[in-house]
Amino acid sequence: MKKNIISKEQFTNFMRHPYFRLLVIVIALLIVWIFFGFFTNGLFFSPRNLSNLMRQMTIISFLAMGMTFVIVLGHIDISVGSVAGLTSMIAACCQAIWLPPILGNLFQGLSVDSLGTISTIITVIITMLTGGLIGLIQGIIISYGSVSAFVVTLGGLYAWRGVILLTSNSRTVTPIEDSLRLIAQGYLTNILGWFIAVLFIILIVINMFRKRNQYNLLGFTNNPLGIDIIITLLPILGVISFVIIMNSYRGTANPVLLMLIVGVLLSFVLNSTTFGRYVYAIGGNREAASLTGINIKKVELKVFILMGLMCGISGIVLTGYVAAGTVAGGFMFELMAIASCFIGGVSHGGGEGTLVGAMIGCLFMTSLDNGMSVMNLEVYWQYLVKGAVLVIAVYWDMQSRKRF
Amino acid sequence: MKERWKMVTTKNYVPVIQMKGIYKYFGGVHAIEDVNLSLYEGEVLAIVGDNGAGKSTLIKILSGVYIADKGEIFHKGKKVKINSTIDSRDLGIETMYQNLALADNMNLFNNIFLGREIRKKGFLGKLGVINSLLMVRKGLDLIDRFNIKIPDPDKKVRFLSGGQRQIVATCRAIYFKAKIIIMDEPTASLGVAETKRVYEFIRNLKKQNISIILISHNINEVYDISDRIMVLKTGRQVGVREREKTTIDEIIHMIISGKDK
Repeated sequence: MKKNIISKEQFTNFMRHPYFRLLVIVIALLIVWIFFGFFTNGLFFSPRNLSNLMRQMTIISFLAMGMTFVIVLGHIDISVGSVAGLTSMIAACCQAIWLPPILGNLFQGLSVDSLGTISTIITVIITMLTGGLIGLIQGIIISYGSVSAFVVTLGGLYAWRGVILLTSNSRTVTPIEDSLRLIAQGYLTNILGWFIAVLFIILIVINMFRKRNQYNLLGFTNNPLGIDIIITLLPILGVISFVIIMNSYRGTANPVLLMLIVGVLLSFVLNSTTFGRYVYAIGGNREAASLTGINIKKVELKVFILMGLMCGISGIVLTGYVAAGTVAGGFMFELMAIASCFIGGVSHGGGEGTLVGAMIGCLFMTSLDNGMSVMNLEVYWQYLVKGAVLVIAVYWDMQSRKRF
Repeated sequence: MKERWKMVTTKNYVPVIQMKGIYKYFGGVHAIEDVNLSLYEGEVLAIVGDNGAGKSTLIKILSGVYIADKGEIFHKGKKVKINSTIDSRDLGIETMYQNLALADNMNLFNNIFLGREIRKKGFLGKLGVINSLLMVRKGLDLIDRFNIKIPDPDKKVRFLSGGQRQIVATCRAIYFKAKIIIMDEPTASLGVAETKRVYEFIRNLKKQNISIILISHNINEVYDISDRIMVLKTGRQVGVREREKTTIDEIIHMIISGKDK
């Protein structure tokens, strides 16, 4: 009798497995990269460009992380572009207009450099508070006012853009302190880059063995060790090649490190805390969640505050990156963030999705952006392609979920 | 041994739950009008009636989803107020809903403990960090009673069969040591074998002196298992019968005519 290598059930289990979804996105990403590499005569793969790509990605990635919570919860937030623009403008105004006279009077003896550092610290705090406050306002209207998130954030999309124009008098705001620019433009030393890479690799390996060990303890069947090793090896290889490439340019960019730290933290929150569980539960079955006594309104409010805080981080990095507060800052970021989530396998109906997926989706969207710019494609092509990719991604997601 | 609910009716025993003169309006609609319900320790009370009879509304008042507009609720003779699902649960009332109230996108362990996750000890636990290993372990202990196999702990509830889903919902009630379990159409989505298993399980609960309220629109489904049967029609109470002193025909007549002979 002929024996199949894997049974039908194993096959569907594999197709349903989150790793498989990630793998598909990663393969699609690699295809797109090879395409760009080919049509730009390898320019796309130059360390300089890849380094830029990663840095470009970070600004959107913070929004995509917050957006993952929002979409898994079953909502949407289309105001994040304007909110990130506003927080960016607030940061610029703090640095260029509001703080210098106050700090100058308070600390008269200090050098320009240390004044700049103090200014940056205060700026970061104020910007984060602004983001959180905006999230709080929108969140209260959505959860306790029972207005749909789409409507509230559509209003926010316009209103916060208005506030940007108001605070800046429709002008570009400069200068930005060096210390703030360092957050977005600085690089880690090569050794520090390797150190963090090793930390990551250890984390990944420990995670794998912990899971295997738990399965053994509880009497579940583990994957064959070989498969687990392959699954683990892929991200490790990714990390190593990433550091090699980045170090051959100037090193890992500071915002990339920030992105990784925030990403790991939020991933932990989403997977291993009651808050994260409730986000999934509410997104999966709102009624069931409420019947089990989960305070839905509170969870919703928290998610929107988190989204606001992520807009704050994004705004800070944006200001540091552009080295100015611009009126158009954050324009269309909401679509990039939402598209990142959808491409990364976050289900638009809520209840499904991972932070890692959203991050890879974000890398995908940024790669499209970057690659097409390097190819010197017309802007209309760029919009067209990005729109089409989004729809195709969601279509594929729907189809594969239906079947498996 | 004589079953306790029988001694009750003769000896004025105190019911575990008593609802007196309950009214509930939705706008101008009288969903529940002057319904009285008593539930004794270790008995199975079936509430039957057509669609729209007010069965679900009545139990939702008991489980804290709705708040009664008028009427009193007594728990072991003591007057209580049930203003939320948490109040209800604190009295030891667990409800298993018709749609089973499971989050389809999560695995069964998360579902069993949903809303009451086991947290890590100490500071991390206060921050809400979950002890998932312990949750899976306790979940497995519960599931073992039902003789089913869970091959993959990460399997989402969506991919489980109707019977397995029922078991998940049941585990929830058992784990939290419910004294009163309300089941809304527990066998509606089940096959014959699975229905039998649920009946077995209900008898098992009875032995542990747990009281059960069964909701059904089909008397045939619950007749055999129930001790007393309460009939509702358009929000009014038609009557209560002891199973041994009635027939299915009589109950059906009550459901249709809405009259207590």
